[in-house]
Amino acid sequence: MARKRGRGMAACWYGIARTATIDRAAAWAEIDDGGSAKIVTGVTEIGEGILTVLAQIAAHEIGVKPEHVVIGDNDTARAPEAAHAGASRQTYMIGNVVALASREARKRLVGVMAEMWDVAAETIRTGNGEIWAENTNHRITMGEAVACAKNRGVVPVGSATFGTDTTGIQDGKGGDGSGRPWQAYVFGCQVAEVEVDTVTGEVQVLAVWAAHDVGRAVNPQGVEGQIEGGIVQAIGQGLMEDYQLKDGHTSTSGFAKYILPTSLDVPRVNSIIIEDPDPIGPLGVKGIGEPAMVPTIPAVMNAIYDAVGVRVFDLPATPEKILLAMREKARREAAMAMQAAE
Amino acid sequence: MVDIRLNATINGRKVSRDAKPHLRLLDFLRDDLNLTGNKEGCGAGECGTCSVFVDGMLVKSCLMPVAKAQGATVDTIESLAKSGELSVLQKAFHKAGASQCGYCIPGMVMAATAALRANPFADREEIKERLGGNICRCTGYQKIFDAVELARDVQNGRLPATALLETDTADGDVIGKSVRRIDAPSKVSGRLKYAGDMIMPGMLHVQVLRSPHAHARIVSIDTSAALAMEGVESVITSADVPGKDGFGVFVHDQPVMAHDKVRYVGEAVAAVAAEDALTAKRAVAAIKVVYEQLTPVFDPDVAMREGAAVVHDYAPDNITKHIPIRVGDVEAGFAESDLVIEENYSTQAIEHAYLEPEAGLAYVDHDDVVTVVSPSQNITHHRHMLARIIAKPISKVRFVMSPVGGGFGGKEDMIYQGMLALLAMKTMRPVRLVYTREESIISTAKRHPSRTNLRMGVMHDGRIKALAMRMVCDGGAYGLSTEGVMRKAAILAAGPYSIPNVRIDTYGIYTNNTPSGAFRSFGALQTQFATESHLDIIAERLGLDPFEIRRINAMRDGATTHTKQTLGSVSLMRALEAAEQASGWEAGAPAVRGETRGDLGHDDVRPSVTLGTRFAAGDTQEAAE
Repeated sequence: MARKRGRGMAACWYGIARTATIDRAAAWAEIDDGGSAKIVTGVTEIGEGILTVLAQIAAHEIGVKPEHVVIGDNDTARAPEAAHAGASRQTYMIGNVVALASREARKRLVGVMAEMWDVAAETIRTGNGEIWAENTNHRITMGEAVACAKNRGVVPVGSATFGTDTTGIQDGKGGDGSGRPWQAYVFGCQVAEVEVDTVTGEVQVLAVWAAHDVGRAVNPQGVEGQIEGGIVQAIGQGLMEDYQLKDGHTSTSGFAKYILPTSLDVPRVNSIIIEDPDPIGPLGVKGIGEPAMVPTIPAVMNAIYDAVGVRVFDLPATPEKILLAMREKARREAAMAMQAAE
Repeated sequence: MVDIRLNATINGRKVSRDAKPHLRLLDFLRDDLNLTGNKEGCGAGECGTCSVFVDGMLVKSCLMPVAKAQGATVDTIESLAKSGELSVLQKAFHKAGASQCGYCIPGMVMAATAALRANPFADREEIKERLGGNICRCTGYQKIFDAVELARDVQNGRLPATALLETDTADGDVIGKSVRRIDAPSKVSGRLKYAGDMIMPGMLHVQVLRSPHAHARIVSIDTSAALAMEGVESVITSADVPGKDGFGVFVHDQPVMAHDKVRYVGEAVAAVAAEDALTAKRAVAAIKVVYEQLTPVFDPDVAMREGAAVVHDYAPDNITKHIPIRVGDVEAGFAESDLVIEENYSTQAIEHAYLEPEAGLAYVDHDDVVTVVSPSQNITHHRHMLARIIAKPISKVRFVMSPVGGGFGGKEDMIYQGMLALLAMKTMRPVRLVYTREESIISTAKRHPSRTNLRMGVMHDGRIKALAMRMVCDGGAYGLSTEGVMRKAAILAAGPYSIPNVRIDTYGIYTNNTPSGAFRSFGALQTQFATESHLDIIAERLGLDPFEIRRINAMRDGATTHTKQTLGSVSLMRALEAAEQASGWEAGAPAVRGETRGDLGHDDVRPSVTLGTRFAAGDTQEAAE
């Protein structure tokens, strides 16, 4: 057989939010005219879908539909700091703080309605654009409730800040690295199935099964999108991408020379979402952006070994390297067979 | 050169206007007609973001001179949802979650539209082949294939049109539901404006002069010829920085433009603002810089040696950051071990390759606030740094995030925003800078290349007694995120395993290579590649299944990490079990058993690619249904 298949696996762990420092984020929320919600926070949508996640969280906390949530653009002169897009932190840091700010705005609105209806605030429920008091006939739309509040001189707003209980690590001279770099950790495991063409050395990754703990999946499709995208970036690094320098000058300055994964290079990704809720934040969410990439390369390298008995120690595992390693292996085995025969 | 008169039908309207003959069709559409839905990703026909229809054929408009469009019918992404109503395919992209950053999506939608026109019954494998000319860096393509299959089935009546609609959330609980992305309609229709799509009245265009040397002293910079050129408004160098120059995520060692010396090929040396980009380019070519070559250092191991060329005076040993982790007594652990395995691993530099090259605008507003609009991943920190660089109070510095066309860590660095701010302050006009792909690749951060030595000592039963890792990373010419990358790499290096004796050292080293910086998975990718490869090598030697050796050592609830932190709930065992079960893993030691294992080729594995066979068979159009 010219093409051989194999499987490999690898596990991973990752810390959520900024490393070995105190992370923080803030948000403002307003239940607006017509019963929509307005969220202002220094969030940075870089494609992961954080705006949708925040809309879902605000909708859930306030009791409106996600399509009735407006999120203000990130602007240092207009929005409170929510820090950067990175460290797999946005759902954790900004998701949690939007939940807290939304709760405060809701509490303000609920307070007005409790007084008006003469019921205990705890009996008031919100959901799907409506507000009502349990075991009563009181039920109006959120838009009507906002009008009621404003007629009493109250604008239902809330604000919140969320920080982590973390420390630096002892990494100065003579340090042992001890410390509490994160308060939330995630774990994952991936299995890869590959096919190696023993004539060309080319590796195809046919499937990856990816099991990742995300705390709580706000938007499962978005989580899958992060896992699928992360795995494909890792396959790029594992098998083909290579920024090359000679004496400081690159020979890979364009996409004709710098090879990226295309639609024909990608595996079928089977995602398994595990939810082990974070006990500290109000939502139980953690993160997925970066951990999704971590186990893929070793899983693929372990699978290549399973298929053809060669291991690549220096990335990327290009066809040339695989062929060379296979040839060396064959030569070694032939020499050993000769020795055994003598 | 004389302008040409271009007559064409563009998005259903007759267009007749003069155009510069050097323009590509893409420039004409974007700059002259302001049809910015289709993007420029690479300028070389490789990425497909600029794909449009010319006389019904899918064409990469960056490869087509505008004159070739004479008399043609051209349709851009804007033609697909003209009245605002999305096409079936665009709705399917929305529903399937097929857009992330969205920058490749207009081109992808065009290619997918062409695919279903060519074969309305195309199966998933054919769809993949037909999208092979379009690169997406975010999604991993899977949801794009899902979207095209969904659109195909709706168009063919196999699925009702309601399949494109929002999942019902009438019960009110929206957490845990795959609510459609709220930003997708703007992305699938090409309506979302990225920084490079934005124009402001009176806007100037910026181009950058870059270093051709890896390490050289700047003897002199003569900008007089450039400044004298008609249409040139301003030329800036490091001398124009009014405050304390220097930016970086951890250490502020990088000047806005090279100061006194250049440290890598592609480093910014000067910048020009002119009435148009071509004039700015010509002015850049007219700047005369005299360099005095310095000895460069390109290998981090060499850079660590005594007597090596020094990249930054403040770090005479070229060490940007060293992170140690120490648990127990690692040599005693090795002495106790039944088996000690040592190997070397290395990883290469890779490029983020977000489809949106760096771009930004800056202006000074009516209240004298210096405002920068750019796809930055960290505008709060950028504002801090820029305020110091331009010597203004924070209240007079404003950063606005434009939609980010992919980041992956690469847009955390304030690599060009300083030049924009300085030029806006100098000219008191809006300025815009759009990188070419080549500029983006040579001048911005890469993933840290690494060399790792790993030793692990284990007992016959699979327990890891000791782990020693030393990783040296090439941080390149500036610090950027190197310190943080080394820290995260070290903290996570030993994997999620309880190991009594651990010694980890990660080193980020200055060289005269392209700087390394933040990149998704931030050092943990490099160290865990080594650790997880190593575990399989050991599992083979011990005759253990790879899941089993990991279970034997797995951190459990309440475990203590290598930084001596006590954890609460640890989900590792659940993740191992879930992946093992979902994949139907057949247990056994990892001893090259691919040919005999019985768990291959399940339904959830894609077929292997046999590219070209379909086309070789002439099976290109109207597949039988």
